[in-house]
Amino acid sequence: MRLRDLLRELPIPEQDEARLRSFAVVRAAFAERKPTPQRRHYLKPALALAVIAAVVAAAASPPGRAVLGSLRKTVAGEKRAAPELFALPSGGRLLVNSPDGPWIVQTNGSRRRLGGYREAAWSPHGLYVVAARPDEVVAVSPKGDVHWTLPRPRVRFARWGGSRVDTRIAYLSGSRLHMVAGDGTGDVDLCGEPAAAPVAPAWRPGLPHVLAFATTAGRIYVLDADRCSLTWRSAPFAHPRTLRWSSDGRRLLLVTRDKLVAFGARARPLDVRFFRGVTDAAFRPRSHELALVRGGEVLALDADRLRAPPRRLFRVTGRIGQIAWSPNGRWLLVTWPAADQFLFVRSPRRIRAVSGITRQFGGGAFPSVGGWCCPP
Amino acid sequence: MAGASRHERAWVRGARAGSAADVEALFRHHWPLAYRAAYLVVHDAAAAEDIAQEAFLAAIRALDRFDRRRPFGPWLHRIVVNRAIDWARARRLRAEISDDGTIERAAAHTRPGAADSDARALAAGLSALSPEHRAVIVLRHLLEYTPGEIAELLELPRGTVNSRLRRGLDALREAIGEELQ
Repeated sequence: MRLRDLLRELPIPEQDEARLRSFAVVRAAFAERKPTPQRRHYLKPALALAVIAAVVAAAASPPGRAVLGSLRKTVAGEKRAAPELFALPSGGRLLVNSPDGPWIVQTNGSRRRLGGYREAAWSPHGLYVVAARPDEVVAVSPKGDVHWTLPRPRVRFARWGGSRVDTRIAYLSGSRLHMVAGDGTGDVDLCGEPAAAPVAPAWRPGLPHVLAFATTAGRIYVLDADRCSLTWRSAPFAHPRTLRWSSDGRRLLLVTRDKLVAFGARARPLDVRFFRGVTDAAFRPRSHELALVRGGEVLALDADRLRAPPRRLFRVTGRIGQIAWSPNGRWLLVTWPAADQFLFVRSPRRIRAVSGITRQFGGGAFPSVGGWCCPP
Repeated sequence: MAGASRHERAWVRGARAGSAADVEALFRHHWPLAYRAAYLVVHDAAAAEDIAQEAFLAAIRALDRFDRRRPFGPWLHRIVVNRAIDWARARRLRAEISDDGTIERAAAHTRPGAADSDARALAAGLSALSPEHRAVIVLRHLLEYTPGEIAELLELPRGTVNSRLRRGLDALREAIGEELQ
């Protein structure tokens, strides 16, 4: 018996579909590549001299100086940055978490510090903010009035979900996942599920109250929190980092250390892509388009075509911190700790930069973004 | 494994010059075996697709550095098999996705008969091997490299390749219950 024949004839699943998908990706990657002309080695010295001369001449010309200026800007930060966050470019309100506590920035740029809390997040319609103290969950109004408090040990990752009239808050107390009603009543250890990984749980937008969270084993659980029923549970994925729902609740993205995993309505992923180094991800509102942070780049990718080549939206020198879409999905806030700037990006040519961010939010350390919320 | 054919050299030359048709020809020629080799090592269709796809993307990115006189296949297969071994090792360590017997299920879709039982037995035998053993079996008996070439591709001593081949074939022979060539 010929082993070669057996190996060649063993049925392989999805071969044709895989071939078509992969060819589309390879063809797209090839289309982006520029063919390089054949090298002429004997021309190398002359070409090198010509290039040096051209660079010197270009740098001396006014347009050349402009180009070099723009390169310097990229290295040192956006030079035309506004010194203060005078206004948000697209309405809504911004929640900023600084070492001093959370701040709310109104559309007109006015800022208010809410108090000595941390890890603040918006309620679904921006009527309240939930935040944490080391041993307390706190709900406060955007004016800083305390709505209620709930003492619990080692509180982290409080997230508020639901409709305008019926909301729930999920949070971790140590590694236990808890849920409490929006008025601070009925706190429970949620459904006795396994210990949660240090990843923020994510509410599916709207009703019913469906929550996704990662366990310490790396499985993703999706629960109907009111019935305590498990909707589905995924296979384990090592090193989970971030969970994000699309605004229509039809896609759930898991970012791990080296993968992007798109889920639909079932435990079996719609797609998995090996993609190392993604540190933040955000669905554009009302779409399945994703913005991803990897190093100093922001990349765009469709969650329904996870294996397509990503499109680079934006790049800076150094590392990007976080991203957040404006409520209308037209502007992307990019935080840039190395330059101490917030960048509001509409397109690569339309950027509004704001410098001195650390100073504006109380000093100490560069702040993080808790969310860019809905218009009042 | 034979050297680069005249067609293949022409395709690589055309691809370097920007011909999409030549890239497609390279893809059509090499994809089926690359995907099959990856699948036989990792036993996971999605991972095999990723591995073969990433290998082709790496090849496209490195076309300008590629030595046209050398065959394209071994270059691609080196990437595919090494990535497949890495993936299978990582999965074994993390137990990320349960070994759900997809390869055995695939074998079960064959028509009933003698060939069917051979396929099932081969699938079961492969599943019982380590990724390292599966890789040398795949390189030797699917892609038809010599042990010396496998040693070079995997950067292993030739003796290690020979012993893995021997052990792998013994295990498969036991699973299939027949003499293998």
